[in-house]
Amino acid sequence: MRCMKQSQDGARILIEYCAGALDPMHAAEVERHLESCTDCRALVERQTELWEALDCWKAPQVSADFDARLYARIAREQAAPSWKKWARRIFEPAVPAPFWKPLASLAAAGAVLAIGLMIQTTPHPARTPQVHADQVDIEQVAKALDDLDILAPANSM
Amino acid sequence: MEAVAALERDAELMLRVREGDETSFALLLERHRAPVVHFLYRMVQNQAVSEELAQEVFLRVYRSRATYEPTAKFTTWLFRIATHLALNWIRDGKKEKSQESLNEELLDGAERQVPDRQPTVEQELLYAVKLNEVRRAIETLPEKQRAAVMMHKYEELDYAQIAKALRCSESAVKSLLFRAYETLRSRLAHMA
Ligand SMILES: [Zn+2]
Repeated sequence: MRCMKQSQDGARILIEYCAGALDPMHAAEVERHLESCTDCRALVERQTELWEALDCWKAPQVSADFDARLYARIAREQAAPSWKKWARRIFEPAVPAPFWKPLASLAAAGAVLAIGLMIQTTPHPARTPQVHADQVDIEQVAKALDDLDILAPANSM
Repeated sequence: MEAVAALERDAELMLRVREGDETSFALLLERHRAPVVHFLYRMVQNQAVSEELAQEVFLRVYRSRATYEPTAKFTTWLFRIATHLALNWIRDGKKEKSQESLNEELLDGAERQVPDRQPTVEQELLYAVKLNEVRRAIETLPEKQRAAVMMHKYEELDYAQIAKALRCSESAVKSLLFRAYETLRSRLAHMA
């Protein structure tokens, strides 16, 4: 067999072997190669050591009041004024991605256009501070679009 | 087989949440709270921030309950939201502000992780040093590589799930992981 370490695919298989992610047949194949190849044995040894080093990093326990805090946030959201709930509905994918995605893009294009028009029609004295505020608005539009995309996967992945 | 059963269970729970069953949301939270918080903790390396971001993840899940359709793995969806929030947080440069608590957390962490019941001061310090090196090595990885390693090594997600969470192809994930492990092996070689 050609040395596994020499190709990226082969090296990836060695890493999967170290992670215990190979099925028995492939693992046996790797082991046969390891018997005769010192280079690959060295890589497996170093990867195993890395795996063990990474194991020493345990994450802390989740705080006992995590759920209580979350439910309080949910309750606050639900008690929010209806315009906020309405706004939230817009940023939630109410219909599957193929329908709402173009709509969202259209809405964003409209928002950007509206901002552009606002810049055009704003009288001169207000222009300097206005420019900064408009930049923030454009960023917010981009961020909102990003958020929309994140909320979509349950329907689109 | 077990994975399929888990997938169905999550989807079933989420569909019940959609119908207004709060108990099912509590069950989903119970099942996924720790993995999500732990993933975020390793991404942002700060407990308070990781819990804050994890709350945002579950809040977003709850908000989208009405439109949920069980066409994707629930876990993948969760990690996609979590990854998005973590990367945004890192890119916003909020990390620097939270660094002051790191040393304290490191020592707490060391105390927590020494297997012996009553670790000596020497053991604790040794662990703190080792832990610090691991954390630093991971922290210096490019953010996508870091996220890929966290999902692969600690959360045991498969390539397809990581690819969806990171919005890239499976072969891109394989290459991210390959490069990340190569870097980590050379940075942590002296620890063996
Ligand atoms: Zn070889």
